[in-house]
Amino acid sequence: MAVPVEYYLVLSAFVFCVGLFGILTRRNALLFLMSVELMLNAANINFVAFSYYHGNLTGQVFSLFTMALAAAEVAVGIGIILVLYRNFADVDVTKATTLRW
Amino acid sequence: MAELTAFAPAIAVLPFVSFLVALFAGKYLPKKGAIAGSLATGGSLVLSLLMLYTVATGHAYQATLYTWVGGDVVPFELTFGILLDQLSTLMLVIVSTIALLVHVFSMGYMNDEGETGLPRYYAELGLFTASMLAFVFSDNLLMAFMFFELVGLCSYLLIGFWFREAGPPSAAKKAFLVTRFGDYFFLIGVVAVFATFGTAAFGGPGVEESFPALAEQALNGEATVTTFFGLDPAAWFTVIGLLVLGGVMGKSAQFPFHTWLPDAMEGPTPVSALIHAATMVAAGVYLVARMYGFYALSPTALAVIAFVGGFTALFAATMGVVKREIKQVLAYSTISQYGYIMLALGGGGYVAGVFHLTTHAVFKALLFLGAGSVIIAMHHNEDMWDMGGLKEKMPVTYYAFLSGSLALAGIVPFSGFWSKDEVLYETLVHGLGGSPLLLAAYAMGLLAVFFTGFYTFRMVLLTFHGEPRTDTARDPHGVRWNVKVPLVVLGVLAAVIGVINLVPIHALVSAVPELLHDWLYHGPEGLNGEHYHELVTSAEFAGYSAGTIPGLGEVGTLFASAGVSLAVALAGSGLAIALYRGPDPVAHTDKLGSLKTVLFNNYYQDEYQVWLAEGLTVPVAKAADGFDVRVVDGAVNFVSSLSLFTGDRLRRIQTGIVSNYAALLTLGLTILLVAFGALQGWFL
Repeated sequence: MAVPVEYYLVLSAFVFCVGLFGILTRRNALLFLMSVELMLNAANINFVAFSYYHGNLTGQVFSLFTMALAAAEVAVGIGIILVLYRNFADVDVTKATTLRW
Repeated sequence: MAELTAFAPAIAVLPFVSFLVALFAGKYLPKKGAIAGSLATGGSLVLSLLMLYTVATGHAYQATLYTWVGGDVVPFELTFGILLDQLSTLMLVIVSTIALLVHVFSMGYMNDEGETGLPRYYAELGLFTASMLAFVFSDNLLMAFMFFELVGLCSYLLIGFWFREAGPPSAAKKAFLVTRFGDYFFLIGVVAVFATFGTAAFGGPGVEESFPALAEQALNGEATVTTFFGLDPAAWFTVIGLLVLGGVMGKSAQFPFHTWLPDAMEGPTPVSALIHAATMVAAGVYLVARMYGFYALSPTALAVIAFVGGFTALFAATMGVVKREIKQVLAYSTISQYGYIMLALGGGGYVAGVFHLTTHAVFKALLFLGAGSVIIAMHHNEDMWDMGGLKEKMPVTYYAFLSGSLALAGIVPFSGFWSKDEVLYETLVHGLGGSPLLLAAYAMGLLAVFFTGFYTFRMVLLTFHGEPRTDTARDPHGVRWNVKVPLVVLGVLAAVIGVINLVPIHALVSAVPELLHDWLYHGPEGLNGEHYHELVTSAEFAGYSAGTIPGLGEVGTLFASAGVSLAVALAGSGLAIALYRGPDPVAHTDKLGSLKTVLFNNYYQDEYQVWLAEGLTVPVAKAADGFDVRVVDGAVNFVSSLSLFTGDRLRRIQTGIVSNYAALLTLGLTILLVAFGALQGWFL
């Protein structure tokens, strides 16, 4: 008995909302990165679920691309956080507010 | 001979070269540019005479030199061109002759008196001569306008030559502004001519479309033109004619634009002779003569010209009667004499107008140069009541001046008699032919003859006769050949130049030719006196007809008119001689009572014009300025301050906190989604 596709969509929406909540409320830059990962993976769940539902592999291939992109993004993100720490001695994103009017 | 006309542009180019020479090399030259200027104007004179001869042999000439706007994209062409016909070559000879004599005279008046700034003086004189000559041979109205403005500029520069004194700069500004006021109307007239006819050419041999000819065809129903404001062609042509007349009245110092000319006497006297008597002031009336084929179509414009002319002749002559300075008398006399020329042109006497223009140029230049000689002798004191008895000390000046004075007063057989008589005769016969307005203008002209005779001989007697009234007059400064030669040349010319048109003698002995009449009647088609005469007398155009004094016939009227004007001139001169002769003349102006004050103040013309400027123009300008500052600038400033204010408020959303940006992004996406969904009807 296969699990209906709606369940995957609900799971994906839940994971996405957890990620979004993390971005809107957390102050630590590392948690920011993690939240972004959650949102990306919510998208991946959708890809795989629809791929299975439609019976072709395009969605699965796309989710592989997304993982590669997420890895690259984390590399850049960690770099930014390192620079942030050097300049502000902290990884709190609300402290770095010099780039404004 | 026709090939000679290829050299025509050199007539204006030569003085222009002398302008450049005097401007850039003048201070290294022995006479500071005077010799270059004299040579250049001498060359222009020779060339002008050659052109006169070429035209006389039947080779009137028109050529376009340069087209600066033209082609298929615009409906008209703007060009520079040359028109050499009977009228323009005659005027070229007059202008270059006087310019040459004035250059020679300037060596005596400016160089020998040790003036500074001479290179500037000769440069401006050269530029003036070049622009004036180019104005005269212009073949279209726009080119004429451009050089008209250039002579105005040179006039401004030369009046203000002694710019370190108080008077000249102010007089220069006044001359510039008053003539510019008239030129404003002229400019509108030029634009109107282009808009109406698509061409501003005066005509000439080989010219297919000229605006006087087009106007004539339009009135005959043979051509159509664009008119404006719903006017029919005849009324619209009158409007154009009157607009151009604005420039003419400003330049020729006609009422009410005459006020600048007496002030212009602040300039050096040779400049007064060249510019403010013989040539530039003549540019206005020359323009009327140049486009006479156009004015002759409009009886209203002609009537205005005649009436303004007659009125100015009388008005200016009465002011000349009381003046103390010799140059002021001559200035008012100039205004008055140009009134006569306008009277002649408006009265249908084209030949008479050109004739008086010619003789006046000669005798008025002579009188100014004579006055210049007297002013040298008097160590630059111009007050006639400080002179007296100069006759024995400076006989050459005296006899030359006397010749000019007799011509000015119109005493037979000096040149002014013949021309002024013809002016009055033409106006009289056309007035008798059924135009009461012309008769009124004639009456004013005739009355002005009396005043002319009076102020002329008052001036001669006060300056040269009686006992010297001051030490300077007892021991005057001598003048040299360079002053005397121009005086002698002009003195002889002023006496004899009337022979070019001896109308009364021709009427008696037909073997005596009317040279000028024949000359002007044989111009190119559409530009000759015969054509103008047909237009003026034709019923559908000006509709003038020649009448005679009842019972006298044509010849009788001619001699009656001549006799009356001579008698009036003699009466005026006689009264002046009776009042001011004797060794020690007394001033009689006090007997005029309150009229004297009015005359001394020039009928308060300056005052009312100043009032117009200060009482009317300044408040209007202030109101316009207020509107500009408050309403126009206010609107602009409001827009900018609104942008600043909203920008200042809006930038506050740029907090620099990443979480806020993320929230805004999410919020924005949500709003978009909701809006998109609402529009697509997802929630229904």
